[in-house]
Amino acid sequence: MLKVAIVGCGKIADSHAAQIQRIQGCEIVGVCDREPLMAQQLCERFPVERHFSNVNALLSESQPDVVHITTPPASHFDLARICLQSGCHVYVEKPFTLDAHEAQSLVRLARERGLKITAGHDDQFSHVARRMRALVESGFLGDGPVHMESYYCYEITRSGYAGALLGDKQHWVRRLPGKLLHNIISHGIARIAEFLTSDSPQVVACGFTSAFLKSMGESDIVDELRVIISDEDRTTAYFTFSSQMRPSLHQFRIYGTKNGLVLDQDQETLVKLRGGRYKSYLEKFVPPVSAAKQHLGNVTTNLTTFLANDFQMKSGMKYLIESFYRSVVEGTPVPIPYREIVLTARIMDAIFAQLDVQQRQGQGQMALHTTN
Amino acid sequence: MSQVDGDDFIIGRDDLILVTGATGFVGSRVVECLLDRGFRNIRCFTRSSSEARWAGVQLVRGNLLSRQDCIAAAENVSVVLHLAAGRGEKFYPDAFMNSVVTTRNLLDACVQHNCLKRFVNVSSFSVYTNPPEARQGLLDETCPVETHPELRGEAYCFAKTKQDEIVVEYANKHSIPYVIVRPGVVYGPGNLAITGRVGIDTFGVFLHLGGSNPIPFTYVDNCAEAITLAGLKKGIDGEVFNVVDDDLPSSRQFLRLYKRNVKRFASFYVPHAVSYGLCYLWERYSSWSQGQLPPAFNRRRWCAFWKKTRYSNDKLKNRVGWLPRISTAEGFRRYFEACRAGESNA
Repeated sequence: MLKVAIVGCGKIADSHAAQIQRIQGCEIVGVCDREPLMAQQLCERFPVERHFSNVNALLSESQPDVVHITTPPASHFDLARICLQSGCHVYVEKPFTLDAHEAQSLVRLARERGLKITAGHDDQFSHVARRMRALVESGFLGDGPVHMESYYCYEITRSGYAGALLGDKQHWVRRLPGKLLHNIISHGIARIAEFLTSDSPQVVACGFTSAFLKSMGESDIVDELRVIISDEDRTTAYFTFSSQMRPSLHQFRIYGTKNGLVLDQDQETLVKLRGGRYKSYLEKFVPPVSAAKQHLGNVTTNLTTFLANDFQMKSGMKYLIESFYRSVVEGTPVPIPYREIVLTARIMDAIFAQLDVQQRQGQGQMALHTTN
Repeated sequence: MSQVDGDDFIIGRDDLILVTGATGFVGSRVVECLLDRGFRNIRCFTRSSSEARWAGVQLVRGNLLSRQDCIAAAENVSVVLHLAAGRGEKFYPDAFMNSVVTTRNLLDACVQHNCLKRFVNVSSFSVYTNPPEARQGLLDETCPVETHPELRGEAYCFAKTKQDEIVVEYANKHSIPYVIVRPGVVYGPGNLAITGRVGIDTFGVFLHLGGSNPIPFTYVDNCAEAITLAGLKKGIDGEVFNVVDDDLPSSRQFLRLYKRNVKRFASFYVPHAVSYGLCYLWERYSSWSQGQLPPAFNRRRWCAFWKKTRYSNDKLKNRVGWLPRISTAEGFRRYFEACRAGESNA
């Protein structure tokens, strides 16, 4: 039985506990939060043996094999280091660390200790994301990706998250190097990083505060971001984050030399874009019919998955956790290559460095930056 | 105004009263109620984004999650009226943190200052289990609260139950004089939504679930009056008070009035036996499917929300001397007027 612990008992910890419960061959032996009441409430709602307010006590008394770190990002590095040094495998929620330097250090430490580590990029393991990966690996795109577009939006309205963040000048999100973006964009960036071959792509970023946030008296938070990423072998990508555009997309488009694919995370649909063209007017009639057929196929697939009782909102997280545990127990490769985790952090560093310069110089200017 | 005079109060009009959640729907009325009664030393604890609304009232900006902010706010305070809560939070940790951790911080601050004469914890009807065996369908202060609020599928219920628990725990441990106030459905201008006890809007069709059930309404001004008096009245320490108005309408009566006075819409009545059966099926499916559908509907929730129940405000009237200042007819007139204005602005 794999012994699992969770450090950090906020909102995302609930998802972890719920998904771990669904996995055979593991048990949650302890949860920990600096605030004892938070650890206690998680312990009361899930089948957890013990709760702690000190991570060292958790590690020594519960002796977990794997620790999930679900605290705010600023503490990820220190906690992951402590857990690795104690001989635990570690699953770190996104964003993996505050910067690429910390990410590399953790990966190095895990390797040195013969332990496994992964990042919480669970969107990449949803049903639809796995279908897309299988198609890419089968050569559907042709000779690898030529261009990608990743949309990762976050709807900000006057109530909810924005209210809490905007009303609190001490909110922990504000203290992250990339502030709001830092806490959100890693899912969308990781999708691109998966298909880049270079370890130091060029990044051009432009960010600004939306008129909506400005109307609420906010000028520190960047909530609109456009990025161009270019690989050495000229695979390119656009990344878009927006709090205001509608629909608020979570979409990934990837184009190869032969065909393309469009993945919609919210709708869990995958649509193939045919590279070739039909003759004359057939191009006006056949592709729309083909698209309709594909959408109907997506409905059938989603319905079948739902009826098979495998369509939980966090099914991607369950798959990632399960794959990670398998890599720990059976020695199989980790579900997310370390290179991809570090590259995601590098691209984010490059984006935030440019936004920082832009904020100091006045918003909206672009600069070229290489991620090394 | 109620039939209570200043001689019955535990504090004088110059003693310091702390109101948390003071800019909220009920909290703002509580402050006005205190001012109406001549209390001159009121401190409002609000989030940093809140604006001052009353002349002569001390505004302390801060976060109840900060122990330091709580210590500053509780200094020299004689009575705490604690209304701030994690209302509207969908997730258990958020609701818990903004209700229980905040309350604990405030209680710790009160213990540290050691000058408190009463801590009024504003709770909710949602903490009651309202089990099938409740006597003659009457829900009053003697009824049991949820022993497993985590099974209700409602983050708010879980948080409020735990909040009540921590207040009682601190009261026992540190001899803090406390009163718990549990309002029913607080309505009025500022809270225009139709309560889920009447029914739920699902995919454009309003499912009417309340039927002939009385709805435990309390008009916001009446509720504020009850909370204020609970903080002031002598001889009620350690007591729990439910707050509901007189002349409660049934769910069906309310819906008819709403449609007549605000707007017409299609509603579909779901008989109690059917809604209970659906809640049971939802609960079973949620469990079987390992949460593919969250357990938002279940038998516990049905008992708390849609079981036919009568309500009593006898204890509040007899022990606190509260009387509803606004009649239910007048309360609805004001509420519907605000709803119409809201509709025309939408």
